Amino acid sequence: MKYAFFLGCLIPARELSYEVSVRKALPELGVELVDMKAANCCAPFSIQSVDYNSWLALAARDLCIAEEMGLDIMTLCNDCYESLLMVNNLLKKNPELKDKANQILSEVGKEYKGKVEVKNLVDVLYGDVGIDKVKNAIKEPINGLRVGAQPGCHLTKPKRIHFELLRGFKELDELIQATGAESVPYERKEMCCGGPLRDINDDLSRSISREKLRALKDSEVQAIATVCPFCFLQLDLGQLEVKRHFNEEFNLPVVHFIELLRMGMGMKLEDWEIKSHRIPITDLFKGRL
Amino acid sequence: MVNRAVMVVGGGIAGIQASLDLANRGYKVYLVERSPSIGGRMAQLDKTFPTMDCSMCILAPKMIDCSHHHNVQMLSYSEVKAVKGTTGDFVVTVLRKPRYVDITKCTGCGICAEHCPVEVPNEFDEQLGTRKAIYMPFPQGVPRAMTVDKNNCIECGLCIKMCQAGAVDLKQQPQEEDYNVGAIIVATGFDIFDASQIPTYGYGRYRNVITSLELERLLCASGPTGGHLIRPSDGKIPRTIAFIQCVGSRDRRFGTTYCSSICCKYSVKDAVLIKEHEPNTTVSIFYIDMRAFGRGFQEFVNRAKSEYGVRFVRSSPGEILEDPASKNLRIWYEDTVAGRIENAELDLVVLCPALIPSKGSHELAKVLGAEVDQYGFFKAADLITSPVDTTVQGIFVCGYALGPKTGDIPDSIMQGSATAARVAEVLEGSA
Amino acid sequence: MGDVAGTPRGNGILVCIQCGRCSSGCPVARLTSEHNPRRLMEMVILGLRKEVLSTQLPWYCLSCFTCLDRCPQGGDVGDVMFAIRNQAVRQGNIPAGVAAQAKALYETTRVINPIRSALDKRASLGLWPIGTEGLDDVQKILKRTGMDKLIPSH
Repeated sequence: MKYAFFLGCLIPARELSYEVSVRKALPELGVELVDMKAANCCAPFSIQSVDYNSWLALAARDLCIAEEMGLDIMTLCNDCYESLLMVNNLLKKNPELKDKANQILSEVGKEYKGKVEVKNLVDVLYGDVGIDKVKNAIKEPINGLRVGAQPGCHLTKPKRIHFELLRGFKELDELIQATGAESVPYERKEMCCGGPLRDINDDLSRSISREKLRALKDSEVQAIATVCPFCFLQLDLGQLEVKRHFNEEFNLPVVHFIELLRMGMGMKLEDWEIKSHRIPITDLFKGRL
Repeated sequence: MVNRAVMVVGGGIAGIQASLDLANRGYKVYLVERSPSIGGRMAQLDKTFPTMDCSMCILAPKMIDCSHHHNVQMLSYSEVKAVKGTTGDFVVTVLRKPRYVDITKCTGCGICAEHCPVEVPNEFDEQLGTRKAIYMPFPQGVPRAMTVDKNNCIECGLCIKMCQAGAVDLKQQPQEEDYNVGAIIVATGFDIFDASQIPTYGYGRYRNVITSLELERLLCASGPTGGHLIRPSDGKIPRTIAFIQCVGSRDRRFGTTYCSSICCKYSVKDAVLIKEHEPNTTVSIFYIDMRAFGRGFQEFVNRAKSEYGVRFVRSSPGEILEDPASKNLRIWYEDTVAGRIENAELDLVVLCPALIPSKGSHELAKVLGAEVDQYGFFKAADLITSPVDTTVQGIFVCGYALGPKTGDIPDSIMQGSATAARVAEVLEGSA
Repeated sequence: MGDVAGTPRGNGILVCIQCGRCSSGCPVARLTSEHNPRRLMEMVILGLRKEVLSTQLPWYCLSCFTCLDRCPQGGDVGDVMFAIRNQAVRQGNIPAGVAAQAKALYETTRVINPIRSALDKRASLGLWPIGTEGLDDVQKILKRTGMDKLIPSH
């Protein structure tokens, strides 16, 4: 299993630990990643808000690069995932839009042909690697840990796109269970983390993550597992911001799901990775770090 | 030679009406019903709108008429398996499912059921109540005979021992019988949309989120709680109740894009019934449009508001949350008239689901060779000039099997009579 | 309304029946009466162009697609938000954060860039250096679509 690895902007800027965990864990599961070095930003919602055609063309350029590599794309960020997936869908189903995109792409010598798929880390782990193989790779199960899964909005909505791909919440839940931990149901699991409002209206952004954190706390989870780096930022650093602004403390460690998997596979996290979590994870994961 | 025999498939009110009209006219009617008793949905209802008559009180006499009429032969617990031929000369193969009870001997006294050790959830009460493995679906069942549910029967033989008439026969076999009829009438009614397809409403997970059909059974004196409206999680009387309209109806996500046409009416009826019993309970109806057309219904809605204090909220909530401790429910909604987002805590939520074609009607349509529309309802040959003819000559359709025309009880009865008239017209040679 | 309905992401507005299911589930609407997807649709339908395009309202949308998922009419409310924003930007209504990301995109191919210490860490871990390969292509694309002219202070 080989994928074109689309890194996105947020991870290299702020979450190297996510990238490193992926590069360490995935080869052990038989997944090879080839970097998309010439890729541009996926055109996330901020850019989509400015111009529609630019969104189509920018995302299509990335799809072309993957086509030239002959590989499906794997992303880590939900924003990137949704952007590339939606454009891929639109261009595949809509010959007019495909023509429009290709007209713009001809300026840079590229042509979108619709030959690749866009996948997220959860897709790859659940669909391609498979739950059994993931289970077999677990050497030190994380038994008894109550985890609140945060799949993020753009892994599961809009349902009409994602249900076509047969995705719901259960994939991430089962992956968490495969590590030995328990994926605890909680109200508002489908709710947004509030990330997209950062820098637009921080107060609203914080209020939303606070509502989310409250729901998680009410269900007595011990840790939160995220897939999207934006959700991670919003719920990890965001917890400190909520504490500062609302004086409400949650003390809920947040980990990237892949870190949970890594620990279950018996790989220890390095010092700098541990420190990259704003809410300390040392107590909860003693012995695995 | 006019073939004066007709088969009616479906023993609900529409099928019963068609059967009686034809029987009274001298036709021999075979009334096929796949459950152990005729009666259909109307038997499950408590009171009917807007007159608030007791549903069973209107239905039962017609059911008895069917059972006693010398021109009606009921083929209960049976299904249509194959059809050959044309108008005037159909041969219908009917599967007589084994009841394991001889209905010529059974008096329906019920001693067998009293002693049967197996208790299972009861379809008639929408799984809210229970019945035994040998049972009558409801007390006024017609034919008045018991049926054995072989899937759950443990063959202990107690019923055989207790039965004074020697009516139990666990060795019965299914039988296929052929009937020669001149025409067929389809009256297979409806099922309800499975609300668990909308996970955000919590149906199936939250005990105090129920469907309107379940509510009918709770309100009905013959139901699992003797007509006391108590909520499933703890048996308490609910003090705040919400109805949510259009669960599945008018919804492009599920293909049931039509309006089911009776839900606004019945929810107002149920709301008024609840207020009559418990004036201190707050009842709110969350709707997109309040479709109270026809004679007396808008007035009924107005009375519900002014006299009974039913709250009407123009809003379609997307989600229900549950408090894990109290099992109370919370709905966030925008009151679109006031333009304000609010939330309400509720003891009980009633979902009004879309009404969909009866399970198995697709297969029946294939057997008959009749077309169905994109929703699965039987297609009329022409909506304007032949509204109760199917696309097959000699086969007619009435009631909700035709889809949500207006769908309420008087309309089903009218359509039943219409098909009877059409059959007579066609068979007596003028069509 | 024609301006919005005529765009690929905006034509959902034509089927809106104002049922309120979108606003009933919107996480932002729960918190502030300033943002309300149903009301925004209503304003577009009523042709209140100035009010819609000059306020912050469309920018408070999270793009979480809860509304889009639940709309019984298939009105794609979450998508219509983008159509409205596209129009708003052309009137000069663009939040600073968005403008900054657009500018960064034009100058570096990315909307967010790693600071020096992050780049150093990358290097120390032996990961491939993030550069501006592809910048030429991105600028050509943005010039071709005319987006370069929409980026403020550019």
